[in-house]
Amino acid sequence: MFRKTTKQLSDWLIAATSSRSFALLAPIAVALLLGACSSNHPRDTLNPAGDGAQISAWFFWLYMILDTVIFAIVVGALTIALLKFSKKKGDDDSLPPQNHGNMKLEVIWTVIPTLILVVLGVITIGGVFKLAEKPAEEQKVIEVDVTGKQWWWEFDYRDSKISTANELHVEEGTQVALHLTSADVIHAFWVPRVSGKRDATPGRSYPLYFKPFEKGEFVGQCAELCGASHARMGIKMIVHPVKGADSYDNWVKGQLAQAAAPTTALQKAGKKVFETKGCASCHTIRGVKELSQRSRTTGPDLTHVGSRTTIAALALTNNEENLAKWVKNPQSVKEAALMTNLNLSDADAKAVAAYLFSLK
Amino acid sequence: MSAHAAEAADLIDHGHAGDDGHGHDELVENNYMKVPNVKLAIWTFLGSECMFFGSLIATYFFYLDKSIGGLLPKEVFSIGITSISTFILLTSSFTMAMAVDTAKSGLMSKSRNWLLITALCGATFVGFQVYEFWHFVHLGLTLQTSLFGSTFYVMTGFHGAHVSVGVIWLLMVAKLVHSGKIPAERAVFVESAGLYWHFVDIVWIVIFTFVYLLEFAK
Amino acid sequence: MSAKLHDIEALQAPEPHMHYERPGKTGLMDWLTTVDHKKVGVVYWAAGAFFLLVGGLEALLFRIQLAVPDNDFMGGETFNGLVTMHATTMVFLAIMPMTAGFANFLVPLLIGARDVAFPRLNAWSLWTFLGGALVINASFLFGGPPAAGWTGYAPLTGPEFGGTGIDFWWSGLALLSASSMAASINFIVTILNMRAPGMTLLRVPVLGWMMLVIQFLLALSFPPVTVGLILLGFDRMFGTTFYNVSMGGDPQLWQHLFWLFGHPEVYVLILPAMGIVSEILPVFARRPLFGQTAVIFSGIFIGFVGFGVWAHHMFTAGMGPVADAAFAATTAIIAIPTGVKIFNWLGTLWGGKMTYPTPMLFAIAFIPIFTLGGLSGLMHAAAPLDLQQHDSYFVVAHFHYVLVGGALLGLFAGTYFYFPKVTGRMMSDGLGKAHFWLFLIGMNITFFPQHMLGNEGMPRRIYTYPADAQWDLYNMLGTIGVIIMTVAMLIFVYNVIVSVKKGAIAGRDPWDAATLEWLTESPPKVQNFDFTPIVLSERPVWDHKYTEGMEIIAPEKGESFHMPSYSWKPMISSGFVLMLIIGILLNTFMPGNWLWIVAALAAVGVVGSVWAWVSEPV
Repeated sequence: MFRKTTKQLSDWLIAATSSRSFALLAPIAVALLLGACSSNHPRDTLNPAGDGAQISAWFFWLYMILDTVIFAIVVGALTIALLKFSKKKGDDDSLPPQNHGNMKLEVIWTVIPTLILVVLGVITIGGVFKLAEKPAEEQKVIEVDVTGKQWWWEFDYRDSKISTANELHVEEGTQVALHLTSADVIHAFWVPRVSGKRDATPGRSYPLYFKPFEKGEFVGQCAELCGASHARMGIKMIVHPVKGADSYDNWVKGQLAQAAAPTTALQKAGKKVFETKGCASCHTIRGVKELSQRSRTTGPDLTHVGSRTTIAALALTNNEENLAKWVKNPQSVKEAALMTNLNLSDADAKAVAAYLFSLK
Repeated sequence: MSAHAAEAADLIDHGHAGDDGHGHDELVENNYMKVPNVKLAIWTFLGSECMFFGSLIATYFFYLDKSIGGLLPKEVFSIGITSISTFILLTSSFTMAMAVDTAKSGLMSKSRNWLLITALCGATFVGFQVYEFWHFVHLGLTLQTSLFGSTFYVMTGFHGAHVSVGVIWLLMVAKLVHSGKIPAERAVFVESAGLYWHFVDIVWIVIFTFVYLLEFAK
Repeated sequence: MSAKLHDIEALQAPEPHMHYERPGKTGLMDWLTTVDHKKVGVVYWAAGAFFLLVGGLEALLFRIQLAVPDNDFMGGETFNGLVTMHATTMVFLAIMPMTAGFANFLVPLLIGARDVAFPRLNAWSLWTFLGGALVINASFLFGGPPAAGWTGYAPLTGPEFGGTGIDFWWSGLALLSASSMAASINFIVTILNMRAPGMTLLRVPVLGWMMLVIQFLLALSFPPVTVGLILLGFDRMFGTTFYNVSMGGDPQLWQHLFWLFGHPEVYVLILPAMGIVSEILPVFARRPLFGQTAVIFSGIFIGFVGFGVWAHHMFTAGMGPVADAAFAATTAIIAIPTGVKIFNWLGTLWGGKMTYPTPMLFAIAFIPIFTLGGLSGLMHAAAPLDLQQHDSYFVVAHFHYVLVGGALLGLFAGTYFYFPKVTGRMMSDGLGKAHFWLFLIGMNITFFPQHMLGNEGMPRRIYTYPADAQWDLYNMLGTIGVIIMTVAMLIFVYNVIVSVKKGAIAGRDPWDAATLEWLTESPPKVQNFDFTPIVLSERPVWDHKYTEGMEIIAPEKGESFHMPSYSWKPMISSGFVLMLIIGILLNTFMPGNWLWIVAALAAVGVVGSVWAWVSEPV
């Protein structure tokens, strides 16, 4: 019974979210907020690009309207009281009326808010169940195991051996199911424009479901304090179109390929550095060196590291120069980074950077 | 207004106002709620203690059967021995009740003796627990072994600590009764110690039933 | 009924006859051995005000770091330490002790008692609190402050990830917890048992009621977090497995135990401020509090429901939709009694004849500012929306509106209002108004834009942010606001210091107020009341002044009563408890048997000092 009711509610909610009522409410709300939130902000929670964020934004406007009305009533009443009931110059010392209250008023301002909250409560519960709904099985679902690590994200795609870091690739209009866990402390996965956040807790795996409906790149970061470099644990979500050169399928194809062989002398030297100087004890490059076991301290899979736009969880743009800087002294880029400083020479750092950047 | 005047007169008549009308320290009683200060304080304290043991016991059940490796409860518990110590602790509730009863009747030296017997029972219980812990550690269950080890020792250990505090408390009260600092009209101090003692017993009944007996009922 | 019928200054009783076991000490010794609730209250307030400045300084430092993007004024670990200490300090060492200061000083006065029920236990609470404050802040000197946030989520606090600061943090908090529990028992007994004749429960002033409610919250909510802290301490000291994931431990256990305390704690911080506001508004509107009974019962209701909402802090933790829905619903319920309070305050002002000295300004500003904080709180209750707002700057804005705009404004109002009662002198009204306006402007400049930052996806507790995130304007505003608040606080400190010595003499009843505390002299004598007043209404002093037939009548001969004597025992036994904590800290730096040696000595010391305590004649 309960389940059925909530199911109906959530159905109603999704209909309301995507259709006219939302369109009806939005302009009013926008007018109320006087455009305080510019919609071109890169992480605007109120400019949703995924269904999760859309539901949250819908609730924001719902409560925003209610809150604005209540706040206006309180401030309005207060202002009138201050204007009307202040002691004025020339007033005598006579006492104002000494009544102790009014039962009717007490009942009114208890019952009306209660009724409002009952309605809101029902809607809210509908939203909760809507967001927790498991995606239907017949549709295509991109399932990814997400592991938060100090201080980067590991993405393992369930139906392939793709393992990447910090940059999550998904497809426009396709359901995504993330299974969040952590290798060390609690992290939280948050890409504001696509979906609300969810904790990545060690020892547990929680799902986060969403469906992005806009293509492009969306930035977010860890939202649960996780140590010294918590602020440098970025996420980039790349939503690919279904068709075209930039399609999700093409990306998957590229990632499934073995690592590119080095072509230049510098790259070849870099590969040697990777194999001999200790990089391979923590990193995998498929076809070169693969880790048999991953642990809390092992680093990202580098098979296609050159194809990523950023490194060190969005701390740096991905290019040869930055890669060299990072491998030479990770801790200078990111406080307390767990990547070992191998004391590479400048030449070694440059070579390995060239090799890594060639791994498109 | 006359109603107010009547109320005021009534309050004065009933001796609420005037000399020594209000207690200023823990040794002077006040009866606004018809409960002496000390007793009300102990009741409040026990409310707080309920939350404390509630949290510990909840933690035990939160982690029940979630241990990775290590000995299981059934493999270490010895119902026979624990039943004996439980019986001793329950007996001490009876002797405590006798101590309170005799103190209220003004039989202070009897009350002192009952208090000492109660303390002895409590100390015996703690002795059993020390043996039990030693025995379990010997079997291979330590604080660090598993969730069961951690939750079991911490929960029962804190109970044991409470019993130990209770024993010291009872000895102090017995000494004060003996030296005449707790005469019959201050029997509430014996009663307060009794409230704490019964509470600690009740907590043990909960632990014994749900932690020990339930293991074997499953 | 316009003019005063009677003046409160004219109400004189013959000198009472007080008997002591031992005469009091003087000077510093007096403060160290005092059991007088008024002196204990002053020390609590002063310690709270001191830590308010310390916590503010910590905030100023990390706001400098956040002023511009990609700043390198400080690193992540330093920032996390300052953020953790800022929150821990503000919650446990500033707002709570300032509140305790008001509770200690005022509760016996409000209810017409001569002291609290257990004066020595009261002093013990004070010393134990100071010990805890010392321990937590000592972390700065030994190995750095805790850096896991004031919520201390395991396993970041565990043996593997938490630094030595965590040991200071958990053991210091355990001390504060013991202090608060002892105090709560003391005040529950005091308020229930020691009211003056005629002061029925519904005649207890709202402030007294709110203090009673929070004592129940403290007594019942501190034990769970104490258990949580002990489990954490055992994990760190003895290698137990409570939060150890590899052994099957579950980090969510900590979250439940913490928030089972943490949410009632929020009401512990705000209800006294609501009580203070409920005392001040009627005085300056010159009317009774509108719907006093409704205000009292809504406070009780908030306290009650406050125990059923803790997991709304865990909507993102993945508890499942059923739990999320249940906690969303219970949380929304809190809005109802809160609304009742706000509307009754407005009802009090409506029809009044208001004047605006500094305490009234703070009390009036409390209403809209707190309402704003409450309304954003209502948003968090909506779980689907909270998924975005949780751990974002929107939440930061919310709880600063509630705690700065609510609790702190209320405490400032109370400080200006009760200062003449405590010191016998008025605070400067001009400086008070400067403090008020600067602080109000500063806090809104700082915290209002943080709503927008949250909506724009800025998570809390990040030590830096990139320029392309476009969060720089609002962060710069935040830093400017903090600087303005700092200036306001300097004015406040100056005002307090100057007014203690040079303020205008206040007299008993400078505000023409309504409740029993204004019957006493300013500052009150050690016995508070020369004679025990008989209470016939919820406004005994007001009715004495303005209502015929409701006068308070002084007895013809002086009363005779016993007063508690000074005692060293509270400080000594509190010192032995502190010693146990020092043993725990020794274990952090010198693992070995030190812990057991020190702990055994401390236990002997505690038992010995308690024995000395109970055998001491008072």
